[in-house]
Amino acid sequence: MELGLDVRTVGTHSVVDVKGEIDVYTAPKLREKLIELVSQGSYDVVVNLEGVDFLDSTGLGVLVGALKRVKAHDGSLSLVCTQDKILKIFKITGLTKVFPIHASVEEAAGGAT
Amino acid sequence: METIELSIPPRSVYVGVVRLAVSSLARTAGMGEEAVDDLKIAVSEACTNAVESNSEAGSEDPIVVSWTADDDRVLISIGDRRRSVEALGESVDTQGFSTRLTMSLALLESLADAFKLTPRQGGGLCTSLVFQLTPSS
Repeated sequence: MELGLDVRTVGTHSVVDVKGEIDVYTAPKLREKLIELVSQGSYDVVVNLEGVDFLDSTGLGVLVGALKRVKAHDGSLSLVCTQDKILKIFKITGLTKVFPIHASVEEAAGGAT
Repeated sequence: METIELSIPPRSVYVGVVRLAVSSLARTAGMGEEAVDDLKIAVSEACTNAVESNSEAGSEDPIVVSWTADDDRVLISIGDRRRSVEALGESVDTQGFSTRLTMSLALLESLADAFKLTPRQGGGLCTSLVFQLTPSS
């Protein structure tokens, strides 16, 4: 099972487009990519989950970890997600109060934090 | 009632295999896609917890996933070698965020129609999940 990660720049934001399933096996790859971005000085990050077929607590844990890292540099981490099955996970765990969640990359990178 | 059992080495790479198997079984049992999605997440959570438990306990014992379905419900159990329920640890980290395990338990409580942890013969815990089969699922 592979996790696809593509990084691009939109305005002042680094956007990580994720494709596939994020679980205990693939989540470390996403964690490493987010750590790499922060170490390179990208502190305003958007994680696009529109291509994600599956997400569980390991993925949530990686996103929380990344949020802490960017916040340490006064940065931001927001998400793009319109899939109900993924949004449900954030709602159940209360993380909709923690992450800004947008309907598109353009909206997320438009300056909202 | 028939029981299907899947035994996997306690490695993260095999959690996806379990998801594929239970998804297929759930659809065969007549569950709708939303119910299948919920079941997949719950089983993945339980298996992830089992993999981590066995690792922390230093156990190479397989994780055993068992599926039993009758006319109105599905019972899934996942057996690990967790040392104790107390080993579940802190619920929030030093910055006030819920730990992964706390989030996992919240998902299990919410997504399954019934969820419980019971001691397992030979040591460890058994995570039991029940999903009701409704006429519309």
